Amino acid sequence: MNKTRIMIVDDEPIVGKRLKRLLEKDGYEVEIFTKGSVALEECDRKHFDIVITDLKMGGVDGMKVLETVRGKNPDTKVIIITGFRKMESSNEAFIKGAFDYLVKPFKIEDLKRIIKKAESELKNSSGQ
Amino acid sequence: MNLKIWHKMIIGISIPSLFTLIGGILTYSYISDVKIRHGYVQIADDLKEQVLEIRRNEKNFLLHKDVEYYRYFQDAISGLNKSVNAISPPTVVEIGKDLSLLRGSVPAYLGFADDLFEYYQQEINVVEKVREEGRKLEAFVATGKYSKDLTTSFILNLRRFEKNYVLYRDNVSYNELESALSQINNITPFCFDCVEYKEAIHDLFSTYKKMDEKVNDLQSTGNKLEETTYKIATSERQKVNSFFTRTQQHLVLALILLCILGPFFVNKTASYIVAPIKRLAEITKKISEGDLTLRAPLKEHDETHTLALSFNTMLDQLQLTHESLGQSLELLHAKQIEVEKRASLGFLVSGITHELNNPLNNISLTAETMREDMGEITPEELKEYIQDILTQSERAKNIIADLLEFVGTQKTTVMEKMDIVNVIEEAIRLVANELKVAGINLKTDLPNSPFFVYGNHGKLEEVFVNIIINAIHAIKNEGTLTINARHDTVTNHIFIHISDTGHGIPEEHIKNIFEPFFTTKEAGEGTGLGLSVSQSIVREHKGEIDVESEVGNGTTFTIKLPLSGIR
Ligand SMILES: Nc1ncnc2c1ncn2[C@@H]1O[C@H](COP(=O)(O)OP(=O)(O)OP(=O)(O)O)[C@@H](O)[C@H]1O
Ligand SMILES: [Mg+2]
Repeated sequence: MNKTRIMIVDDEPIVGKRLKRLLEKDGYEVEIFTKGSVALEECDRKHFDIVITDLKMGGVDGMKVLETVRGKNPDTKVIIITGFRKMESSNEAFIKGAFDYLVKPFKIEDLKRIIKKAESELKNSSGQ
Repeated sequence: MNLKIWHKMIIGISIPSLFTLIGGILTYSYISDVKIRHGYVQIADDLKEQVLEIRRNEKNFLLHKDVEYYRYFQDAISGLNKSVNAISPPTVVEIGKDLSLLRGSVPAYLGFADDLFEYYQQEINVVEKVREEGRKLEAFVATGKYSKDLTTSFILNLRRFEKNYVLYRDNVSYNELESALSQINNITPFCFDCVEYKEAIHDLFSTYKKMDEKVNDLQSTGNKLEETTYKIATSERQKVNSFFTRTQQHLVLALILLCILGPFFVNKTASYIVAPIKRLAEITKKISEGDLTLRAPLKEHDETHTLALSFNTMLDQLQLTHESLGQSLELLHAKQIEVEKRASLGFLVSGITHELNNPLNNISLTAETMREDMGEITPEELKEYIQDILTQSERAKNIIADLLEFVGTQKTTVMEKMDIVNVIEEAIRLVANELKVAGINLKTDLPNSPFFVYGNHGKLEEVFVNIIINAIHAIKNEGTLTINARHDTVTNHIFIHISDTGHGIPEEHIKNIFEPFFTTKEAGEGTGLGLSVSQSIVREHKGEIDVESEVGNGTTFTIKLPLSGIR
């Protein structure tokens, strides 16, 4: 069985670094990016099952990443992680097709639970 | 007067019409008067004509002395008499006393003519008697019965004198006859046969004397008639003339009055009619200029009264609407301020949350990693994790410090008189190293003498540092930073320009750059408080901060500060 491929986009390198280590321990294949533009280029080359992205970034921001990824591959689940309180940009993100929205600081279990949920949905849709 | 407009208009039209009507009637009566007078002139001319005819007949009568000419004369006179009597009594009164005089003179004149005619009849007899007695005396003298001195030749001479006198009737012949007669007495004092002749001669003398008197009377009366008719004709003509002159004068007077009073009257009437409308119009104008408390005066009792009433009602409503609108506007304004306050507070809170959540998240993620991998962590990794936690804590602390600084500017700051040029120079010194590292070319054009500003040295320095650091970030690699200061002597302000050749600010960001936490920089590089704090500080110094930017070309920040008194 293929490993679930996860992409992490956050302009602060420390976020990607920590998450990569935590998620790889659970058997996920994780790639990290600190620039939205570079991440999107990588999306063209490879398929990612799940994209975890920060919202507020210089240049290509999280909202743009969400839009582009959903436009290219509607199967990919996009999870937003941001310092903004939920209500402000979560509505916009959900309208644009975000799978879930997580406010920083979050517990790693919460993120893992959301990833699990996304995985099961992915399995359901590919199984049918 | 409480008159309606249409009453005023009727009055305004009828008064001039009445004047015109009166003028017309007067002129008409003048003209008919003149016509009547002209009739009198005709009558007077006719009378004059008749009198001249009478005088011509009078002359003929006096020359011929016979019945035929006497008849003509009489006819002419009675003709005049008839004409005079035919004149109607009112006309007689109008023409006046001259005509009455004429009327009275005509019968007298006729009487003189009758008398004279009688004398002419007598004259024939008297002359016949003289001739007879003369012949008798001639025959008697021829007998020679009396003195030889009473000769035939003397008598013949006497008869010659007698013939001359009858023929010429002048003074010479009269004197000759008179002296000859008196000689008879000298020659023969008691000549009884001479008496008859003498008496006949004396009869002749008296008859002629009476006749002459009558002729005189007749002629003088005739003259009088002529004069009177002439006078009447002249005076009637004069009257007609004076009538014309008077009418002319009246017309001229009327015209002058019309020219002077006409426009005045028209103007008065017009203004009298439009006065209430004008008043209303003036009020309307004043109201339209903004004074809604004014009202149209209600003293007019004409059509404008209702107009003014409805106008005022309309104004009442307008004022009410205006006032309530003003109140609503105030309320709305207050609400807007409230909303703005909340919005900026919300922005601030959300900014703080975001800025703090990021380092907190990093700390918690690091801590969780350490907990999960407790056994597998190498000492190097542990060192790195601890360092990360410290760095992120420091970052959070800095954000709080920035925030406190931002809030602090709202509070009072110690202000003093200090040299702004010196502040700029110190700010440049603080960033000199960063400029050098970034390879930025610095150009300054600052005054040599100090310019004093009432302010806080440290805070103003922070403003310049913030702006210069932003410029360094915008330039990135190579570029130029230009700093200059200009004194505006008119307003006594100093203008400090800080220009860079960096990437510039997009149009849509310009309005946001002074907002707290607005930043385009990556996390950790900027919190977005720099310009917001700077603006607060500049405003605290009663100054202004402005920006002009073009994407790709660069940005210029201008700081305007008031100078404190004289340099
Ligand atoms: N000289 C400049 N050239 C181009 N952009 C600028 C310039 N100065 C400011 N900006 C823009 O305005 C934003 C706000 O500036 P500000 O100084 O308030 O915050 P910051 O520099 O991002 O963060 P901080 O100053 O708090 O570290 C910047 O992120 C940048 O996009
Ligand atoms: Mg800044």
